[in-house]
Amino acid sequence: MRFKQVVNRALSALVLSTVVGGAVAASAQDLKIWTLTFDSDEVYSAWTEIIKAFEAANPGVKVDLVRRSTDEHKAALRVAARSDQGPDVFFMWAGQGLGGEFVKAGLSKPLDEYYKKYGWDSRLTRTSLAPSKIYPGGRHGVPYTFHGQALYYNKALFAKAGISAPPATYEELKADAAKLKAAGIPAFTFGGSVNWHLMRLMDNLLETKCGAEKHDALKAMKANWGTDPAVTESFRELHTWTANYVLTPFLGIDQAQSFNLFMANRAAMMLEGDWLVNQLREQKRLNDFAIAPFPTGTNRLYSFAEYYYVSKQSKVPDLAARFLDYLQSDAVQQKYVGILGSMSVNTHVKYSNSDPLEDKWREIFAKYNQTFVNGDQGFPLDVTTEYFRIINGVAGNTIAPESAGKTLQAFINNRK
Amino acid sequence: MARLSLRPDKQGYLLLAPAVFVYFLFAFYPMLDTVRMSFSSWNGLSAHRSFAGLDNYRAVLTADPVFWGALRNTIGWTVLAVLLPNLISFGLALALNQRLPGRSWLRVAFYLPVIIAPIAVATIWKWMYDPFFGLFNNLLTAWHLQSWIVDWLGDRHYALGAVFAAHVWQSVGFSMVLFLAGLQSVSTTLIEAARIDGAGRWAVFRHVTLPALRPTLAVVLVLSVVNSLKAFDIIYGMTGGGPAQSTQMLAMWAYTQAMQLGDFGKGAAVSVILLLITLVIVVPYLRWSLRPARSGK
Repeated sequence: MRFKQVVNRALSALVLSTVVGGAVAASAQDLKIWTLTFDSDEVYSAWTEIIKAFEAANPGVKVDLVRRSTDEHKAALRVAARSDQGPDVFFMWAGQGLGGEFVKAGLSKPLDEYYKKYGWDSRLTRTSLAPSKIYPGGRHGVPYTFHGQALYYNKALFAKAGISAPPATYEELKADAAKLKAAGIPAFTFGGSVNWHLMRLMDNLLETKCGAEKHDALKAMKANWGTDPAVTESFRELHTWTANYVLTPFLGIDQAQSFNLFMANRAAMMLEGDWLVNQLREQKRLNDFAIAPFPTGTNRLYSFAEYYYVSKQSKVPDLAARFLDYLQSDAVQQKYVGILGSMSVNTHVKYSNSDPLEDKWREIFAKYNQTFVNGDQGFPLDVTTEYFRIINGVAGNTIAPESAGKTLQAFINNRK
Repeated sequence: MARLSLRPDKQGYLLLAPAVFVYFLFAFYPMLDTVRMSFSSWNGLSAHRSFAGLDNYRAVLTADPVFWGALRNTIGWTVLAVLLPNLISFGLALALNQRLPGRSWLRVAFYLPVIIAPIAVATIWKWMYDPFFGLFNNLLTAWHLQSWIVDWLGDRHYALGAVFAAHVWQSVGFSMVLFLAGLQSVSTTLIEAARIDGAGRWAVFRHVTLPALRPTLAVVLVLSVVNSLKAFDIIYGMTGGGPAQSTQMLAMWAYTQAMQLGDFGKGAAVSVILLLITLVIVVPYLRWSLRPARSGK
């Protein structure tokens, strides 16, 4: 009898605690944000402070930030796609190839009402907003950062090779590479094992040799990779660069190892994004490097946007939009200027006390009105994988430059 | 109240039931679902899958530029992984079965790599293979063997072999332990009897030790085959399938298709092909290796 009483009381306590606990959980608002691991401690600290401040300004709200590596983040989003355990807000690069995949699958909530409510169109930069408008049926995602990629060059190594100014044309770039080689200095370092690193060189070569319009058509798979001589010329240029002017070996190292080599002054240039300024700052090497755009001759900046999307399954879309509005607010963007990105997507941010490299990035962003996007954001994922394979194949001498374009076109033709 | 009573053979089913249920739920049902998915078109995000017939298999077998290379790599890796690490393990087990000073510590030392997570092994070896700062190339430079320096993970001629070396380092200890257990179960009476009859060391090994090790060999070979066919972590961590997909393996290609490229139908098709290869190798071998044991009853 006594045992039965104890069991009954324990069961009652369990039921009561579940009901009360559930009631407590239901009254607090949770906002789940899934994103990538950050490039630097500075960015992580900034996010921690931003979340704390948002929670303080919104009593009862708890923001849960989950960070993963790139592949794990994509896998987690797929696994959560059809469950209610997914995020309210998730990070993804803009463009058809990456963020577009989730939009096309109906997992992103259109944000037109919030664009109107918060006035994001008048607050954020035109170039960063452009990818939100590419989908039929509504605006998707909010710009988080807008990144440019350019040539970072080692000032001392350039001086050693007798190069007094960064290249303004592609011919000058090749001439500078030859001068560096004559001085015993590899022009570039790349991490070939992370395919997107060397892809940046290929994208810029396509822009240079094909021109803006044709490049866009090729990436949209509306032009033929197999028959255009400019494509073959681009792959030949890639082979020339990787055979003669890139620090070898490079196909087996990743971008982190490549950066270490750059820091060890083993190569004169890297083709990197504005985020590298933070990494150089952490290395205390800001004064050793300078930046110049890759001279494609098309007056377009090689760039991409990073976005946050609101999940269509979110039960708190208003809260999600409110957080994104807070993240892009004048106050937050001004406070963390130079940390989340060299250039804020908020047009009201003022820049002062910045490093020369950050000033240079702002000069670059101001100069270019048009952009072209990284191949892995423009292509569908399977075509990107084949694009990577062919680029590495040309660099590794397993695919001839003359057949690279045809190989890619054959893959595109075989897709359903 | 009547006592619940079962015949001993029926009690076995009852005791097995929970494990069978879990196996069905987490292994057998997902296998069936994967086979079904291989005939579907699904991106992992949409609510619905559409029937695709044999399209995925056709695409994998005729239009996939990576599949046949991955298949060759998988078969080559499996053949070598069954032979080389197990030969080394067997040798180590024979040696460490002797009364050697410090043999317990040696057994621990050879087993330790097994308990390191494969992705950690991949990271360790990747840094040792670093062409500029890594241990191997720096040692070769110090020994004036610069002509031997290669891009271990970036040259397609060496990359898979370099990854395989890391796999051998990690896996040798596991089979060694199994062989050791098998060696210790060999009847000493039979060995003594053979010696009394005039058998030398090689004859004892061939006619007493090896036959006694047959069940252990079967287990080791089956596990080696299965583990090799599903090789993933170490390759993912060291090369990601590169350079230019030259170290790609079927298990990883299936993962890539599904989880990275969002083509679950094709990923499932690659998985089913891998399963069929596994069954074709493992089932006949198991039937052959266990038959004499059954006929001996």
